Amino acid sequence: MKTRANKVAAKAAFGALALNAAFPALAFAAEAEEEGGISAILPDMAEFIPMLIAFIILWIILAKFGWPMFAGMLEKRESTIREALKKSEEAQIESERVLAEYQKQLAEAKAQSAQIVADARSVGEAVKADITAQAQSEAADMIAKAKAAIEAEKKQAVAELQATVADTSVDVAARLIGEDLTEGEHRAIIERYVKEAGSFNGN
Amino acid sequence: MATNRLVVKEEVAVYASVLFDAANTAGGQEAVLEVREQMGEIIRLMRADLQLTMSLSNPDFTPAQRKELVEGTFADCHLALREVLAVMAERGQADLLPRVYDTYRELLGDKLGICVVDVTTAVPLDDGLRQLITEKAEADLGRKAVLRERIDKSILGGIIMDVDGNYIDASMISQLNRARNVLKDTTDGGEC
Repeated sequence: MKTRANKVAAKAAFGALALNAAFPALAFAAEAEEEGGISAILPDMAEFIPMLIAFIILWIILAKFGWPMFAGMLEKRESTIREALKKSEEAQIESERVLAEYQKQLAEAKAQSAQIVADARSVGEAVKADITAQAQSEAADMIAKAKAAIEAEKKQAVAELQATVADTSVDVAARLIGEDLTEGEHRAIIERYVKEAGSFNGN
Repeated sequence: MATNRLVVKEEVAVYASVLFDAANTAGGQEAVLEVREQMGEIIRLMRADLQLTMSLSNPDFTPAQRKELVEGTFADCHLALREVLAVMAERGQADLLPRVYDTYRELLGDKLGICVVDVTTAVPLDDGLRQLITEKAEADLGRKAVLRERIDKSILGGIIMDVDGNYIDASMISQLNRARNVLKDTTDGGEC
């Protein structure tokens, strides 16, 4: 309503200006005849009526042709602004939605990366423990094998030494027996062995 | 060639019996013992010389060639042994000689009532030792014992007595070898 009243006032002012421009002689004549009293503020009918008629004519012309065009431009402008506002609101909503989605994805990515890091850390710990255990086991095996090898070599060396000592001792004894015993001593030994020997029947 | 075990056993018995009778007829107990000893030597030779053993039974040779091989190789042996071995070679049965030897030894005990004691020493026996060994063998075996003496310096000393495969080994070389084995097998002495 306020917009409508403003429009009517504007139209009236515009009509007065237009009437003055069309009839300037009438305006000056009225000023010349002015006198004191109430007539000073009352309009002169001779001037007022043509001005009113001109105003009405002008008003009709503007109401018929000018104002609809002006109103259409304003409405068009208003709809354009309204569309722009609506689009901007939609864009803002969309941007907020995208932002929320991005934030959600970012949070998920952070959580996922944290999980990956935690998994990698746990896997790394497990691998480290396995490698350590395997290394300890291999080291223990190597030590055991080395001990066994040393023990075997030691036993072999001792056995070889014993064999050498035994061979040498027996060879010396054989040489002494073969060289030092007389036939009489041999026969005495044979006699003793025959007497001490077991039976031919195995008893 | 007969493969039946009973047939082979009979053939072995025939060879041994013929050999024993021939040796006994030719020279009595002494010849029988000589043949026994020579047969043992031939068996040892055949075991040591595989080519000789295979040649005596080789079917690629004719029977005459195998007989000639026996007569040429064992010309110094007793005639009875040489002839029987030649027949065995002719028939491709020279490899039966060890079984003939075993049967021959049994015949020796059965028919002559004696047991042969093979005595090996490093020095010659005197009469006292012969008497001692003979009395021991006769006491153990219950029959007349005949000693067959052999000198072998490699036994170092002592005596080895063998009656049909039953050994009494009282040689010094055997005792030293036993001592050697005991010394080698003892392991606790070297432990730290």
